[in-house]
Amino acid sequence: MKEIILPGDLVSDKPIRNSYTYIEDGKTYSMVLGTIEREPLSIVPLESVWSPRIEDTVVGIVTSARNSVYEVDLRFHGRSIIIGGKFERFSFNVGDVVEATVKDIEEKRTIILSYPRLLSGGTLISVKTAKIPRIIGRDNTMIKQIADKSKSSIIVGKNGLIWLKGGDIALATKAILTVQEEAHVSGLTERIKKLMENGER
Amino acid sequence: MASKANRPDLVVDGKRLDGRAMDELRQLKIEANVLKNADGSAYLEWGRNKVLAAVYGPTETQPKHMADQTKAIIKCRYQMAPFSSLEDHGRTGPNRRAIEISKVTKEAFENVVMLNEFPGSMINIFIEILQSDGGTRAAGITAAAVALAGAGIHMKDLIYAVSVGKIGEHLVLDLNMKEDNYSDSDMPMAISPRNNNILLLQMDGEYTGEELHRAMEMAIEAGKTIGKIQRDALRSVYTNVAEKYESV
Repeated sequence: MKEIILPGDLVSDKPIRNSYTYIEDGKTYSMVLGTIEREPLSIVPLESVWSPRIEDTVVGIVTSARNSVYEVDLRFHGRSIIIGGKFERFSFNVGDVVEATVKDIEEKRTIILSYPRLLSGGTLISVKTAKIPRIIGRDNTMIKQIADKSKSSIIVGKNGLIWLKGGDIALATKAILTVQEEAHVSGLTERIKKLMENGER
Repeated sequence: MASKANRPDLVVDGKRLDGRAMDELRQLKIEANVLKNADGSAYLEWGRNKVLAAVYGPTETQPKHMADQTKAIIKCRYQMAPFSSLEDHGRTGPNRRAIEISKVTKEAFENVVMLNEFPGSMINIFIEILQSDGGTRAAGITAAAVALAGAGIHMKDLIYAVSVGKIGEHLVLDLNMKEDNYSDSDMPMAISPRNNNILLLQMDGEYTGEELHRAMEMAIEAGKTIGKIQRDALRSVYTNVAEKYESV
């Protein structure tokens, strides 16, 4: 498997900008636990805290609904809100599971969501946010494969919550958790393919 | 607690009570990610110390007035379990000693955690001493560093802590409880191994300037062993999964 780096490990003698490194005295050091490829430099964190980006799809639970402002629990360390109003068509109750898109982030603390959609029924599972890119796969290949074979509809929130409904939820959940567990081991796509076909590894 | 009158011979034939050499660490074992519900965790056994560290966060700051809108805050709770010690440690909830250790631990980590990345949030560090045998604050910091890295929190370095004491004319590394009680001085240190910055230094007793330098050198030398065990603990979480499929 790829080389693992830890916080404080030297990445390069030259200063290189990267989301997971910092520069001190002209040298580059890692600030995460992750895997590294040195030429060209790419660091993939093994564990991470979600930092929201505009256009991210998220899944969350409505925790309060007051004056058409809905607060949503996204497992995020700040506030996340949906602003409704007279001209909006939606209305939610506390406890509803919703899918939405990040419209704006204010000072890294408050997330403004747009295009909310109620997700009724189904199952919600929580995964490590560092593994979300792997669960989605390149050009959605991984999640498409899981959804096609299990015949479930799956919505992956970048914040680490995944909503599933219909089809073989148990199989889809197992596949997603396997990806989470084994994301850093090569040959993952093959293993998931086998898992989805046989129902077991 | 311990008087000079009933002091046992702590050094016999150049060896310490438990048979260690002066610069020898007790056996250290760390396991990372032991708690499923915490964002990061570590279980550590260091000699007869048994320590569990858990990290939650970043989360919304509670109470809200403590939030710093420019950076994250760290909260730390060091606690000894009521059954952890032969004496009364931990039997009556937070006491002066526990509050002090929580504070110095928090300050050691404030130097290495990238607080600017999560403004307004808080990071919770819990250190539970399940069994104590001297040097638990060092053990707590060493375990909490592993837990923080496992939580994916951005840090400048994986820090460790160890204590160096003085028995007569000897400088001794990593004191156990008996040595701690009867030694002439005791100095726990937390160190960032990347540049050997000292992040915590407390001292009971006296050292000469020359002894202080030697003590620091001993701690830095020991840090190489401790750091390797910390790193292996984190690595093995992932290499164990990989080994099922690959011959590494």
